Amino acid sequence: MLGEDDDVFDSVTWESPSAPTYDAGPSAPTGPGFRQSTAESEPGHGPHDPKWEGYLITSVKDPVKELADTKDAYVSYLVSAKTNLPIFSTPNPSARRRFQDFVFLRNHLSKDFPACVVPPLPDKHRLEYVTGDRFSPEFMERRRADLHRFLQRLSRHPTLQRSTLLRAFFESTEWHVTMHQHVAHPPGPEHTTGVIDSISDTLLNAFSRVRKPDERFLAMREGVDKFEEGIVLTERLWSRIRNRTNDLTGDYHDMAVAVQGLGFLESGITDPLNHFSNTLLEFSALLRHTTQTTTDPFLIHLHSLLQYSHANRAVLKLRDQKQMDFEELSDYLSGVTSERDRVDALRGADDDRSRVEKMRKLDAKIKELQDAVQTAHETSDAFSDETLREQTVFQYAKEAEMKEMLGNLADGQMEFYKAAMDEWDRIIPIIQRIRVDV
Amino acid sequence: MDPYETENPFEEDTDRVQSEASSAYRVNLSAPSSPPSQSSRIPSSPSLGSASRPAFPSSGSHRQPQAYKSDFCCTRDQWLHSGEEVEIVITDALKTSVNSSSTYITYVIKSGTAEAQHRYSEFESLRTSLARLYPTLIIPPIPSKQTIGDYAVKQAKAKEDAAMIARRKRMLQTFLNRIARHPILSNEHVFHRFLDGEVSWTEVLHSPPLSLLPTNILKAPSHNPTDQNASPGYTALPNPSATHALRRPDQRFLDSEVFTNKFAAHLSGPMEKVTRRTMKRWSDSSHDHAELGAALNGFSLNESGQLSSAIEKTGQAVDATYMSTTLLLQELEQNWAEPLHEYTQFATIIKKLLVYRHQKHVQYEMTQENLEAKREQLEELEKSEHAARRLEEALGRGRTSADSPRTEDGTPSSGDNSRADTGYLPPHPGPNPVRRRAPGMGFLSALSYTLHGMMDVDPATARRNAISKAREQISLLEDALHLSAQDLKYSSSTIQADLDRFQRQKVADIREMAISMAKSHRDWCKKNLEAWEEAKREVEKIPDHPNRMLEEIVEDSGGVANGSRESTSTIDGH
Repeated sequence: MLGEDDDVFDSVTWESPSAPTYDAGPSAPTGPGFRQSTAESEPGHGPHDPKWEGYLITSVKDPVKELADTKDAYVSYLVSAKTNLPIFSTPNPSARRRFQDFVFLRNHLSKDFPACVVPPLPDKHRLEYVTGDRFSPEFMERRRADLHRFLQRLSRHPTLQRSTLLRAFFESTEWHVTMHQHVAHPPGPEHTTGVIDSISDTLLNAFSRVRKPDERFLAMREGVDKFEEGIVLTERLWSRIRNRTNDLTGDYHDMAVAVQGLGFLESGITDPLNHFSNTLLEFSALLRHTTQTTTDPFLIHLHSLLQYSHANRAVLKLRDQKQMDFEELSDYLSGVTSERDRVDALRGADDDRSRVEKMRKLDAKIKELQDAVQTAHETSDAFSDETLREQTVFQYAKEAEMKEMLGNLADGQMEFYKAAMDEWDRIIPIIQRIRVDV
Repeated sequence: MDPYETENPFEEDTDRVQSEASSAYRVNLSAPSSPPSQSSRIPSSPSLGSASRPAFPSSGSHRQPQAYKSDFCCTRDQWLHSGEEVEIVITDALKTSVNSSSTYITYVIKSGTAEAQHRYSEFESLRTSLARLYPTLIIPPIPSKQTIGDYAVKQAKAKEDAAMIARRKRMLQTFLNRIARHPILSNEHVFHRFLDGEVSWTEVLHSPPLSLLPTNILKAPSHNPTDQNASPGYTALPNPSATHALRRPDQRFLDSEVFTNKFAAHLSGPMEKVTRRTMKRWSDSSHDHAELGAALNGFSLNESGQLSSAIEKTGQAVDATYMSTTLLLQELEQNWAEPLHEYTQFATIIKKLLVYRHQKHVQYEMTQENLEAKREQLEELEKSEHAARRLEEALGRGRTSADSPRTEDGTPSSGDNSRADTGYLPPHPGPNPVRRRAPGMGFLSALSYTLHGMMDVDPATARRNAISKAREQISLLEDALHLSAQDLKYSSSTIQADLDRFQRQKVADIREMAISMAKSHRDWCKKNLEAWEEAKREVEKIPDHPNRMLEEIVEDSGGVANGSRESTSTIDGH
């Protein structure tokens, strides 16, 4: 039971003994979960701030339909990386993997690193799956983009980027073997076993709140909630604008046709009106182009970030759970201890043998519980520690992704307005050239 | 082929068109108008920044020089024809209840130094009056009672709605300026009196020339329906139906009718519908952006550091789009949608004008037909007169033929072969004229018998009366035909000239509309571009992710780094 936290880090390889960026084991508890580490999301120089040992730049490319025209057909992707991390045997590892491989990777990383925010994989796109369209170019491209982002998020995580499983994902030539091995010999035993398991089930259902809420984690939770609110609202409103722009695309196309019709009627100015009609058509095309190349990708990324944030929130919840585990067990322990003391105080009664027997049983239980409480405490502390770091890691990821999103959005908008402005500028002198005496 | 610019075979003298219709009423009216008291000013819709001179009616690319005029009927006339480009401006819309039990809106009109106030119904009345005074001219439209673009406004509130009032203000102003620019209408003193505000409109309605307008314009001279010295022959003109087909229609005007119908259909159909739809869409879009801007602002407050600034600046870009879109909408409304609607209204006006001309043409043809019929009639009468005389002579010399029909005795007056006018109309032959055919006499005898059938007057006299009556009528009809021809010629040439003028103004206005639309969109793009450029600059300041390919990994990642191309550009896998 003890030592799970140690074992968690077995699945991470160390470059040098001096390298570890976080505690390899539980440190002396100064209190339930209270540490000196910073709770701000701003990256700083505290002892619990994440540190990157190197870089891992990943990409997912080149979807290929394998075993085409058979019933076992599937799509494979080229995953490749550029890295200077020592665990990799080459600086440019690559392999071909399929969606199921990603699923395996994701699920096992989650299990192996419960305190880490492992990015989610996209939904299976149920509809296309059912209608059999999973080999359409659009679907394959969409999935490729999702998988690319998934790997990118993994590669940006200072811990996950150095996991053996991820390394195998890139380098292993016998991936199936690797998978089997990983399942058969997981890096560490199950976390919740024995006493904790049996107790937590019965107790935790009764209480759903942490007893001693930590300000920092409350703040974190609130921050995550507000962040997600912001994303959801932005997504909704921007979707509305996208639809409106779509409508305008049609409107300007119709205007172009109407103006052209006017040009046919007004034989003296047919030519300039045709040019004007073309400008309206161009504007319509630019609107559509922007929706396709800027707005839609933006919305997709926004939604993906929301999913990632959900994963973050799940980890926060798990942390709360660990703390509750510890608190419930402590309560239980003190309950049993009081019981024992009460039985002890009954010395002098006639039924000495049964009392001694009862005492013996209680003592055994207390010993068991004390061990369990200690474990739970350490687990909870370590988890809390990890969570603080994870928040910073996530903050980095969040900022990087929002920079990319907003940057692309701004670029797309600028490109549209520049092009449109040129179109409108060009038509003005053409119309002005119409000569009419009034 | 431009249907409005083809040759006019009816037209002889275009110069006549200009001077014909100028009315030189020098009525001096000095009674002051009643100034409204306790009127409240209706705030105008947010100005477009530069309250520059209104765009419509456009001056085109080149201005034709104004015809020289030295004989002015009043100071407004002088101001209008001063040679410079003058502008009538409706400066205010006031809510008042003077002379009425309920409140109404009155518009303040400034033309030069003069100021007048009129309510909507008076504009309507002015327009109707001008249309009746000048049945051959295209009188510009005024905004309809239920104006376009009221889709968002409940009808009950329509009168109060500031946007609708602003729109009316603009369109009424354009109406006045179109009249001011018209070579004929600008000389009309009724118009001057409307502008100078020295008399009430009611007084103008009850004084000449408006008080002299006949009820049926079609029976009055086209060039001046109020002409008191018009020939009475006008009253003899037939009342034509609008749908009466012409025997020899004027191809030019047939073409004009076809063109006008096509134009009307295209404008009110594809053009106006799409315009309205697009306006609504832009309106919705601007609201969406306002909401999003606020949401992003709120979003930024929950974040920190550079990310917060970036989100805030993005929100500001969205806000800027909201504002620029609102302005775009306003400009499109004023410089595209409104003039477009005006031209839809113009199409209806021109259709009516072409109907008037058609009726004048019908009048002409009907008169022609009547004249021909009368001439035939006279010819027949005279033939029978002549034949009867010869018969009498023949009879008078010889014996009476047994089966000769009753003939009259030769009266002294029938002896002479001159065509005497006796003066009375021959009666209608009556229901059952007795016809006995004499061999060899046939139709002639039947006719002469018929003519004298029921009369107890001396048949010869009757016939002679008929002849003179016919001659009289022919003379009347010849007069009427002459008047009708004049009217038709005048109407056709004036209408043609005004259509030509209208066509030029339309092209100028379309040109202006297109330029304005292009400029509005161009400015909208420019503003939004600048806002997004600012946002981009702020976004760039967000530090790159630590996972990047630099020689050393910078711990303090507050500075801007460019080496993260790899990590951030792989979004699309390339």
